[in-house]
Amino acid sequence: MSLKNKRSVFRLAAFAAVATLALAGCTSTAGGVAAGSTGPIAKEDLVLVASVINTTNPYFIANIEGAKALSKKLDIPLEIIDSQGSSQTEISKIQAILAQGKKVVMFVNTVASSDTPTIVDAVKRAGGYVSIWWNKPDNFEPWDSGDNFVAFQKHPGVDSGRCNAKAIGDALGGKGNVIMFPGVQDSTTSQTRVAGFEAEMRENYPGIKILENQPSNWDPQLANQNAKDLIAKYGDEINGVWSADDGMQLGAIQAFDDAGLLDKVKFASDGLYPDTVELMKKGYGNNAIVGETFHRGYMASAIGLYTAYLAATGEIVPSELPKEKRTSFFDIKCVTPDTLDEYLKYDTPTAAADFVDKLVETGPWDTEPATLIGGGGPEVLPKP
Amino acid sequence: MVHNALSKQSAVGIDTTAIRIRESVIERRARFRGLAEPLSLLMALAVLIVVFSLLNERFLTTSNFQNVLTQSAIPLIVAVGATLVILLGSIDLSVEGVMGATGMTWILLSANSRGGVDLGPWAWVIALGVALVLGVASGLIFTALKVPSFIVTLGMWYVGLGIATMLYGTDLLPRLEDEGLKGWTSRISFGLPNSFWVALLVIGLGILVLRSTRIGRVTLAIGNSETIVRSAGLPAFRVKVAVFAIAALLSGLGGILATVQLDIGSPTVGSGVLFIVIPAVVIGGTHLGGGKGGILRTVLGVFLLTILNNGLILSGVESSYQSAVTGAILVAAIVFAAWSQRDRLRVAK
Repeated sequence: MSLKNKRSVFRLAAFAAVATLALAGCTSTAGGVAAGSTGPIAKEDLVLVASVINTTNPYFIANIEGAKALSKKLDIPLEIIDSQGSSQTEISKIQAILAQGKKVVMFVNTVASSDTPTIVDAVKRAGGYVSIWWNKPDNFEPWDSGDNFVAFQKHPGVDSGRCNAKAIGDALGGKGNVIMFPGVQDSTTSQTRVAGFEAEMRENYPGIKILENQPSNWDPQLANQNAKDLIAKYGDEINGVWSADDGMQLGAIQAFDDAGLLDKVKFASDGLYPDTVELMKKGYGNNAIVGETFHRGYMASAIGLYTAYLAATGEIVPSELPKEKRTSFFDIKCVTPDTLDEYLKYDTPTAAADFVDKLVETGPWDTEPATLIGGGGPEVLPKP
Repeated sequence: MVHNALSKQSAVGIDTTAIRIRESVIERRARFRGLAEPLSLLMALAVLIVVFSLLNERFLTTSNFQNVLTQSAIPLIVAVGATLVILLGSIDLSVEGVMGATGMTWILLSANSRGGVDLGPWAWVIALGVALVLGVASGLIFTALKVPSFIVTLGMWYVGLGIATMLYGTDLLPRLEDEGLKGWTSRISFGLPNSFWVALLVIGLGILVLRSTRIGRVTLAIGNSETIVRSAGLPAFRVKVAVFAIAALLSGLGGILATVQLDIGSPTVGSGVLFIVIPAVVIGGTHLGGGKGGILRTVLGVFLLTILNNGLILSGVESSYQSAVTGAILVAAIVFAAWSQRDRLRVAK
């Protein structure tokens, strides 16, 4: 082989390698052709699938943890889908798994609400069962799509926002100025939390003024920058800071710390991430964090997967369930520094396995601390 | 034949005055344009500053000035590298991945809340080593295998993110525990934030490399015509790899500083930086085709974008309109700044 030929073979090989890499990210396979099956499926034919938005956010890592615990408990293999923040990636990876022919029991933490109909349709055609968490279009309900769309589940955002508003309102003695960091602006999760926060302040804390809100896309870095700009704009007029999740709150806290204002400002947010627990335990920044809502990613994925599993094995028939067990809201707890200790047990190394044990015993709707508290339709927002 | 004819003509003494006058006019015009473009960019910047300070009196305060400088520091550092790469006529899309991998490596090897080892200064060396490896890999694949830089660095972006995600694992977020470093980036020394001093140093070195070293001169020459560079026997291959390595090192430095600024390690610590850096280079007037442009112009571009973001928040533009307003002002600013160049914009196709 001449040198030139060798070189071109080398180049071709390199090109092929790059092309393969590029394609690996976007493999799209047609969904299974089997029609939606409703009869019970034997356990050996099942595979659990948990689809998360990314694998770096602590919440989604906890989603995976819960799925692993349930997989171990039920002795069914598990596959994880990392959507890498993209609806396209999410849908194509789900379709690739469906094309393998096994019957799936699936939990999807959807990237965007609008992904839900596509995913449900693909799972239905492949004869699998799916529970969707957090995001779906309001008018797309499980009971309209048959038994394969087992349930839509979430923690109510309005309750979360109200809980945080109470914590900040009380900590400031009912007087002061607050800034807000919502997540992605068109996310229903963020919108419902914002609506709850604003409603609580309006109704019960008239002395608190909301200066401004700056959507920060669930991104700690962006929240950090936005907080810096708002500090430049309002300076020490700011008394309280609300963030739609703990990741953004960590970024905001750092900005106030840099500006030397942390001791005078109170923070509240959703999620009680383990990092937040550490800060609250330390009393960081003159007890800067005054309120949190508690829920865990491992509980969400375990509840979602177990509900779908019960439908797949015929132990429940979704169409016979009341509507609040199809579109379901699960309890979140309101945590203050005083009640923090009660929640530490949910972050021990065996916490996910312990929760799954109880879940299998008591069923998906009655397991403390995430019990069913409502549902049956879209979350009702407080009147503005 | 032609050559013969020409030499015969000059032998009889043709008058070349007209040609020489024409040449000097072109040269003068080029020099004027070289000045006019940064000047109009400065004017666009000045207009923004005047408008924003009329809208909110806090815009023109020392504390907001320091805030803007802190926020522009990391994009500035990364943009120096991006300018060099674009001057080659290539592009580096890997910045956010390199920032993630470097920042994560650094914090896990420094004093952090996860415990583990604290290597002190060696954490910097190893982390920047990771950046260097990624940069050299991009450079080698690009030059040796002739894969377009767009594709190589796009891949390297995800390789970097992947490394960061693997290192991150499933444990708690690593928080910085070194009290001396906490908040270091936004602390003020001699009137300016520390991170901005680092940026100034990087900008100075960047200008020095571009103007006074062989790497800089060959970079500009490659951007103009790689064929000529090769036929002149200049080390095009080595310079291209070196430029990608420098760019990755600077992205890595940006990643470490961003981690210090946020106080926590995150694989996505660089999110959003690419979309400040590349537009800033282009707004500054560096040609995407390479060969023309410079680092100081990029600095103006970064300032334009940072001030725009900061000013919109301070002047109370509602968040749902902010991105549309940012885009509109940006287009207006570019049209204004590039007016003197409008007949020569190579990208206007």
